[in-house]
This record gives sequence, C-alpha cells and structure tokens, in this order.
Amino acid sequence: MTFRTFILGLLASFGFAWLSVVVVPFFKMRNLEPLVFKEDLDGKEGIYHPKRSGRVINGAEVYAQQGCYNCHTQLVRPTYAGNDLFRADWGGLKDAGERGDTRRETNAFDFEGEKFAQIGVMRQGPDLANLGLRVETFYAKDASTTPEGWLYGHLYRPRHELAREKSNCPPQPFLFVEKRVIGNRSLDALPFESPEGTEIVPTDEAKALVSYLLSLKKDDAVPASINFAPAKKK
Amino acid sequence: MSQQIPQSPDHDTILRASIDRSLRHPVMFFFTSGAAWLAVSIILGVISSAKMHSPNFLACSEWLTYGRVFPAHINALVYGWGAQAAFGATIWLMARLSRKECRSAGTILTAGHVWNLGVTLGILGILGGYGTGMPWMEFPRFVWPVLFFSYTAIAIWSLIQFRLIPGRHTFVSQWFLSAAMIWFPWIFLTANVILHWLPGNPVMAAGINAWYKSALLLLFFAPVGIGTAYYLVPKVSGIPVQSYSLAKLGFWGLAIIAPWAGMQKLTGAPIPYWLPYVGAAATVLFAIPAFAVAANLLITASKAGAETITHSPTLRFSIAGTVGLVLFGLACVFLNLPDSSLPLTQFSLSGYGFELLGLYAFFSFVMFGAIYFIVPRITRREWLAKGLITSHFFLSIYGVTAIALVALFGGLQQGIGQEQFALSWSNASDRAYPYAIFMTGAWCLILLSNIFFFFHLALMWLRLGRRSSHPTLLDAGHHDSPHGPEGDIDNAGPLHSH
Amino acid sequence: MSEPSKKPDLEDSINVSETHERLVRQSAAAAREHSLGETASQPVAMWIFIPLIVVGIIAGLVFGSGSGYFKYDSTFREGYVRGKAPGEEDSGPQPKPALAAYSAKGAKIYSAKCNGCHGADGKGDGANYPSLVGSTWVTGETERFAMIILNGLHGPTSTGKVFSAAGMPAQGGGMTPEDLAGILTYLRNNLGNSTGDIVTVDMAKAAFDISGKRKNAGKQVDAAELKAEHTKNLPGDKLDPTTLVLPGNLAPAPAK
Repeated sequence: MTFRTFILGLLASFGFAWLSVVVVPFFKMRNLEPLVFKEDLDGKEGIYHPKRSGRVINGAEVYAQQGCYNCHTQLVRPTYAGNDLFRADWGGLKDAGERGDTRRETNAFDFEGEKFAQIGVMRQGPDLANLGLRVETFYAKDASTTPEGWLYGHLYRPRHELAREKSNCPPQPFLFVEKRVIGNRSLDALPFESPEGTEIVPTDEAKALVSYLLSLKKDDAVPASINFAPAKKK
Repeated sequence: MSQQIPQSPDHDTILRASIDRSLRHPVMFFFTSGAAWLAVSIILGVISSAKMHSPNFLACSEWLTYGRVFPAHINALVYGWGAQAAFGATIWLMARLSRKECRSAGTILTAGHVWNLGVTLGILGILGGYGTGMPWMEFPRFVWPVLFFSYTAIAIWSLIQFRLIPGRHTFVSQWFLSAAMIWFPWIFLTANVILHWLPGNPVMAAGINAWYKSALLLLFFAPVGIGTAYYLVPKVSGIPVQSYSLAKLGFWGLAIIAPWAGMQKLTGAPIPYWLPYVGAAATVLFAIPAFAVAANLLITASKAGAETITHSPTLRFSIAGTVGLVLFGLACVFLNLPDSSLPLTQFSLSGYGFELLGLYAFFSFVMFGAIYFIVPRITRREWLAKGLITSHFFLSIYGVTAIALVALFGGLQQGIGQEQFALSWSNASDRAYPYAIFMTGAWCLILLSNIFFFFHLALMWLRLGRRSSHPTLLDAGHHDSPHGPEGDIDNAGPLHSH
Repeated sequence: MSEPSKKPDLEDSINVSETHERLVRQSAAAAREHSLGETASQPVAMWIFIPLIVVGIIAGLVFGSGSGYFKYDSTFREGYVRGKAPGEEDSGPQPKPALAAYSAKGAKIYSAKCNGCHGADGKGDGANYPSLVGSTWVTGETERFAMIILNGLHGPTSTGKVFSAAGMPAQGGGMTPEDLAGILTYLRNNLGNSTGDIVTVDMAKAAFDISGKRKNAGKQVDAAELKAEHTKNLPGDKLDPTTLVLPGNLAPAPAK
C-alpha cells in the first residue's frame, strides 16, 4: 500500500462518513423550520413553539453536574423503537381530564433552552421527560405536599417514602443547608429531623434543579405533521 | 529457535537498543502514570458499582455521589489509563517500526506531563461538581484544549517518522497506528468544538456525543490495540503474520465501517431518522474487521505452538486480548439489532458492559501484553516474579468474563424489564439488581489483579527488576531454556569473562 | 580494559568491540528478539469467511429496518402511526355511558357555536336570542329540533315571539353527524332540560338526509314548515342512555 493510497483512502472513508453523520445533520438541525399549526388539521393557527417555564438553564447545569443523566433518560421513543409510550405516565398522561390521552413522542423542539439534550445513557431510574406532570398530578398529591416539596424530599432522602424504599437514587443532602429557624419556619423547609432550632432548606442549586425538573412537561399538543396518534375520529 | 548471546554485535540489536534507550523516559512515564490512573479508575469503578445496588454506601460524601464518581471513573479509564497506555505503546512501536531513534523524547515527556495535568484537573473538576454532563466528555471546558495540544506534541513526531521509503514494505501495525493517530485528533476536535463552542440543536448535540464515544472506541482504542497485537504476536512467536489479505480486509474494513457507528444509542430520538440505523448497522459490521484481525492473529499464533503462547506473558495477554476482540465483535452484533435487542440494550447495563469489553477485555489486555514486552527493554531489567504476572492474568480474565456476562445477559434482562410497561418501574430495577452486584464483584477482581500489576510495574520503575539475559517466562521452571545458559546483565561494571 | 566507573556510551566509545559486547549483554532482550518478518500471503481457509458473511447478512437486515437514508428532513419513520399497546385495550379515552359521552361532545359544540348568542346558561337575552331552557321545540320532536339547528330559523319561535329579523343562522355547515347528535342530546338533557333520551348518530345522519331533501333546502326553516313537515322524531333505533360508548366517535364500546 503506498502512502498516497493510505492517506487518500483514510481521508475519503472517514471524511465521507464524518460529513454525512456529523457535519451535515448538525448544520441542518441548527436551522430547523418551525412547525405550524393549521386550522383545518389542528383546530388552530400559529407556530409550534413549546414554552418552558422555570429556571431551565441553571437547572440543566445542576442536572449535568450532579450526573443525573447517568441513571435517568429524557426520551420518549416512538413505538417502533420501544415501549415508552405504552406506559401510563411517561409520554404524557393517559387520562389528562379534558385533553384525554396526551402521551406523545419526544420531538426536536422539546429541549428548548438547553444546550445539550440530556437524553441519557441508562435507565436505572424512570424516564424524566414528563416528570413535572407526574410530580404535580400524582406524587405530590399522594404525599400531600407541594410539587417542589416532594422533589426536595426526594433529592434529600430518596427512600424516605414507602413507595420508593427500593429506589437506588443517591441521596444529595449537599444540595441543602441547615439554617437556624428565625421566627417561623420557612416555606421550603424539609420535613426531616434536624438539630434543635434549625431547619433544612434547599440551596439555590436545589431550587434551580427542582425548577428545571418541574418544567419537564412534554405533552403539549403538536401540529399534525408530527402528531402520530392513530387515525383521528371526526 | 535457540539463540546464543552473539559474540559479535548484531546491527539490529544495537539499533533496537538505541531506540529503546532514546524513548525510555516518555514510554516509561506513560506506562506508569497510565497504570496509576488505571488504579484510580478501578477504585472509582468499585465505588460507583457498589452505589448501584447499595446507594447509601459512602453517601456522606458530596464528592463521591454516584453522578460524579461514575463519570470520573469512566473518564479516568479512557483518558488517564487508555490514552496514556496507547501513547506509550504507539510511540515505542512507531519508533521501532520506522527503525529510527526518537530525538524529541524531552518534548514528548513534557507533553505527557501536561496531559496528566489536564486529566487530573478534569477528574478533580468532575468530582468537585463542575462536570459538563456530556458522557465521556465530562471534563470542564478548559481541559480539552490542554489535552489536544499535548496530544499534538506527542503524536506529531511519530507521524512524521511514518514515511514510506519506496520499495520498502510498511508493516501492518503501522497502518493501524498511524491511522489511529490521524483519527484521534479529528474525532476529538470535532466533538469538542461542536459541543463546547457551536450552538446547535440540543438533540443533535447528544447525537454527536454518542458518535464520539463510539468513534473513540472503534477508531482510536481498537486500531491501537490491533496494531499493537499485530506487532507483538509475530515478534514474540517468530512466525510472520499469516495472511496479508486478511490484514488488509481488517484495516480497510475498520476504516470504512467504523466512522458511521455510534448513533444507535439515540434510536427513537428526534434526529434524522436513518442515523441510528446506519449506526447500528455499522456497529454490527464492525464484527467483520474484528473477526478478520482475530482470525489472522490466532492462525499466526497457532503456528507457534501452545507452549510458546502460555510461557510468554506477552503472548498470553495479547492472545487473550484477541479473544477479547472476538467477544467484543460478538457483542457488537448481538446488542445492536434494532428490531430485537437494541430497544432492550439501549438504556441498560449492556452499554456500559459493551464499552468495558472494548476498553478492558480487548484493549487493556493487549496493552498489558505490550507493557510486559516493552518495559524490560527500556529498563533493561526483567520482570521479577512470574507469580505476580499469572495472578494479574487470571484475575483479570475472571473479572472480564463477569463483565461479558453482565453485558450480554444482565443488560438484556434489565431491558426486558424496562419494556414491560404494564408493570411498575421497580420491576426493571429489581432485575438489574443481581447484575449490579455481579459487576461490583467483577471490579473487585480486576482491582485485585491490578494490585499485582501495579506492584510489579512499580518495582520495575524503581529499577528493581531482575538483572538477567533471560526473559521472565510463565513456565513450570524448565532448566534448559531456549535462550542458552543464563548470564547476567551488567550495565555499569567490568566485563565478566565466560 | 576500561575502568570500572566508566559507563559505555552508544555514541562515542574507545574500545569498539568491548563496547559492543557490553551493549549486547545489556540489551539481551533486544538481542534475542525475533525480527519482524514480512507478512506472509498464506491462503485463508474458507471457513473463516462464514462468520464474516453471516455478520454481513445480519447487517443487511439492520439496514433494512431503517429507511430514508441520507434524508435529513424527517426525524421520524415515514408513515409512522403510533402503535397500540400489545395485549392491552385501547389506550385512548375510556368508554363512558352514552348520555355522558354525547353530552360531553355536545357541550363542546355548544360552547363553540351556540353560547355566543344563546348564553352560557342557554337562557338567551330575552330580546334578540330565545331561551333554550324548557323550549318545546328543544325538548319535543327531534326532527323539528334538528332542522332548526341544521338550517337556521326565520320568524317566530316556539313561543310565537319573533326575536330578530334575520333569524337564526344555519349551524349545519361543517357539522358531522356525531356533532349534531351531540348537540341535540346535550340541549335536551342539560341546562335545565331533561328528556332522558339520546339522539343517536344514526338519527343525526337521517337528519342530514332529510334536511338535504327539503323543498327549501339551503334556506332557513320557519314555524309553518316545521309544523307541517317536521313534527316527528328522527328515524332510528333508540339507545339506552347507560350503554358504554367511546367518547371520540360515539361508537359503541367493544364488548369486554
């Protein structure tokens, strides 16, 4: 093999693949055409622009730094790639009252505001794409706390409630501080024992993370072009 | 083939010795600091694996929370041990294969220290809570340019050496090693520039990260391992590599197939639909160059006879590594079938096990073989105790077998549980539980095996190796050695008369 | 003989053969190495290609499960429709009793089309828009009621009063039989009315037919026409209000 064959062959084989699977898709997906709702198909007009409320950027940073993506994913796969949509509360809610079944696949606009979609690598714990919905609809109600309160409790001591006694989630008490109680207990104080006269409150990092986690709701209505529900009945 | 110590100097011997001598500092540095990082990585691996089934283990420490200790473990394994072992082996092999002494040993050594500094800062950054959250790229942002420039200083000299003199045959190893040295900066730069600098769609960023992981494994660690094995097996056994056509198939197969792999980890994600499928197909196809290389090496080794293989530490580890390559190829095929196994393995222990098969069962075993071959040559001492070598070998084999079982069976079991949507999530995590324990056991075995290795390597590093003209062989202690009567190496004193 | 303390150097040596011998002794490892021979070109046994070919076939199948290669525009499989959960019942909205399902549908139509004029409580405003609560035309024969909704009304209402010169505009445009059945059932069973019966989808379909066959098809109805031709119930089988139907298309739920 001559040197020239070697180098040209290397450049061609790697270069073609590199262009096809890395460069071109990256630049194409940078400028995604926004999807639009159409009156006749979707019952309304406008651009599909999922809005997220909450401290998405700061919270996503905390999520990345604490390594939550090592055990949790944020991807609801279409039915040809997995059974995520068949679970009652992963892609949305099976019965969201008036809206009915709101479960849907993750789409390319769902990670608005984040630099790196934390799709995840392993599912030791459940998928988090719609965690905000689950916490608000089920977990917080079952535990009679606010959604934030439930998440603070879970981060501080994941196994404190019976439903989660076998959870492998690592406790993260370092996201909280013990503060002296001055006057009334603060609203965010966690209901766990702490030394006399102190309370456990979340740090700014915990607040950002919980705000981010509660913003994880990806079951909004999507335009017909990416609405894959089985034949609509009219 | 019996060799008496020649009475008149062999030109080849002088050349080899001078090359070894010129490179002794950087190569020894890479091997010892790599081994130290391997130790760190294994300890972090035991801790993180334990936390998977006993989450309250060491829960007091913020620095050791699972989300930080696991990325630290993987990054230490990849950049601390894997990359440095690769550098050490590559620069030595390229120098020997181009038959030229190294004149830039000082630069390479400095660059090696800079690389280590980068990795140290990176690992500390991850454990301190500054990780970036991108798998295999968790080092804080400032680290990657440090690593990149240090790599350039390390590799550029070897690449310049690789020049084909017309009429002169390049050896198979040189193709793989030079290609690895060209692929690595291309891959590394692409991923880091895009993910740290260029804003783009967040899902595609995750896709490029997945591509990077696969490319690093298949286009850096795999060719370095393959190139090293292609050198060690014929060198130690004395049998030339048997099939040129299989060698070519292996190389071009790897070059054409591997760059497409990686995005199968994002099947079902909103990236262009065909990317995960081409990734899955390419990963499956990787088995072809893997099997071609393994067949070539195993046929070559089979001509050498079982005794030669079992007696030589280098050959034992290299052949075990080749078997590891076969295992890795099988895993490539069976874990990545989109209609059956891929939805099960995509988010399970299989992915981790698969990466470890490539990094440890194949790459690290070949690197151990290389270390057992190269270190005596650059320290001019022989390994001290064959017991230490055999312990290292067998304990690693047991550990790696456990990892293979976890990857193939445990991951599938966990995946099956994950897909059982009618049952609650605890069904899936319960299924993973025994395999997580198994994994911790595997890491403990590997830790034990590498304790023997570090101890042994440290003794060699301290020049406490055996002064002998005979290699340390893993034989039963035969007295009629093929190398003739045992002499003594004397590198400072007067000549002894025979 | 060289002195004991002098270490030999590779570059410059005094006694060449001595230095070389020392070198060779020092580099025993290098000395005993085999030289790396040229790669041979031994023929490869055929059986080696079998696993390679098998892998190739498997990879081909993997390629086959994907599609749309090199098309960057779609992030989902072409023609993908969400599958049904294997071995599970319809994951859509659960079957409901017919009265509730029809009324729910009708309620939606009412808030979209009707409450702008007739008011959210159906009582109108007394001057321009008649009340639907307790109206005989609403709770009486279904065909008459259907004709009003589909075609609009001109002139006096059931109470004899004329509410506006233009009358009620037709509401049938864009309505499906399910929509019509829903609004009819809703108004007959809510907002203060309670006939207790259901106007089924089949009855609504018949209403569309009848409406289309009117002599004045396309024009509003008036009290006279209603009295003369439409004071009857729509043809069709009655539906027990407690039957389970699917909320979307009001079809009877599959027996379970």
